[in-house]
Amino acid sequence: MLSGKGFTQVYNVSGGIKAWEGKTAVGPQTLGMDLFDGSKSPQDFLKVAYSLEQGLHRFYLDMADKARTRAVLELFEKLAAIEVKHQDAIFDAYARMADAAVSREQFDAMVETSAGEGGLTTDQYLELFDPDLSVETEVISLAMSIEAQALDLYQRVGARMKNADSAAIVHGIADEEKQHLERLGKLMDTL
Amino acid sequence: MKWMQFLTPVQSKDYNETRKMISDHSPEDITILDVRQPSEYQASHIPGAVLIPLPQLSDRMSELDPGKPTLVY
Repeated sequence: MLSGKGFTQVYNVSGGIKAWEGKTAVGPQTLGMDLFDGSKSPQDFLKVAYSLEQGLHRFYLDMADKARTRAVLELFEKLAAIEVKHQDAIFDAYARMADAAVSREQFDAMVETSAGEGGLTTDQYLELFDPDLSVETEVISLAMSIEAQALDLYQRVGARMKNADSAAIVHGIADEEKQHLERLGKLMDTL
Repeated sequence: MKWMQFLTPVQSKDYNETRKMISDHSPEDITILDVRQPSEYQASHIPGAVLIPLPQLSDRMSELDPGKPTLVY
C-alpha cells in the first residue's frame, strides 16, 4: 500500500512478528506486477475487478476446506459470501453501463477468459503467509492481508484512472474493501 | 486463480536483515511500522515500532515520512 504512495524504501519483515519472536514463518519474497493499466475502459476495469472478487471468493472457499475448526470454517464461509456480494455489485455496475442487456452468465463467460494468467497459486500464497489455520486470529490476519491487497490495488488503479466515471467506480469499490478491512479488524479485537 | 498479479511489489527482509537495518540506523532515520491491531501491538511489538492498524493505514499515511526506509509487519 505504501510503495505506491511515494514511499521508496518499503520492506516487508518476512514472517512478521512471528519471525521476530523466533518462531518459524518465513515465506519467499513477493514480487508482483500491476494488472490494470490506466487506459482501460470502466467496463474493462469492472471485468478485472470481478475476476479479483471471484479469486477472493474461491480463495476463501479453499481456506474453508482446509479449516480445522468449526468457527474458522464458518468465518471463511462468511468471508466467501461477502465476496459474492461484491461480485453482485460489480455486475450491477457493469449492467448499468452496458449498451445492450447482458446476463450474469454472459458476463461470467466474458470475465472467465480474461482472468488467471501467471503467478502464485493459492497453495503458494498460503506458503507465503504460513498461517496456523486452527487459530482464528491468524486466519483473520491472513484475510486482512488479502483485503489490504485488494484495497491497495483499487486505490492504485483509482488514482491512475483518467476517466472520472471509471475513477468513481473504483473509489466506491475501494471504500467497500476498506470497510471490510475495518470489520475484520473489529472482529480480531473480539477474539 | 493466480495471485501474483495482484500483489504489490515489495522487498522482504528476514529477521537478521531487519535487525541489521534497525541497528545501522538511528531511530529517527527509520520507520518501523506495525499494521496489526492495537491488542496485538500491546501484546508484543518490535521495539520502536509505530502502530497504524491496517484498516487505518490509507487514511493516516501522512503521519509517516516517505523518505525514510520503512519496515512493515
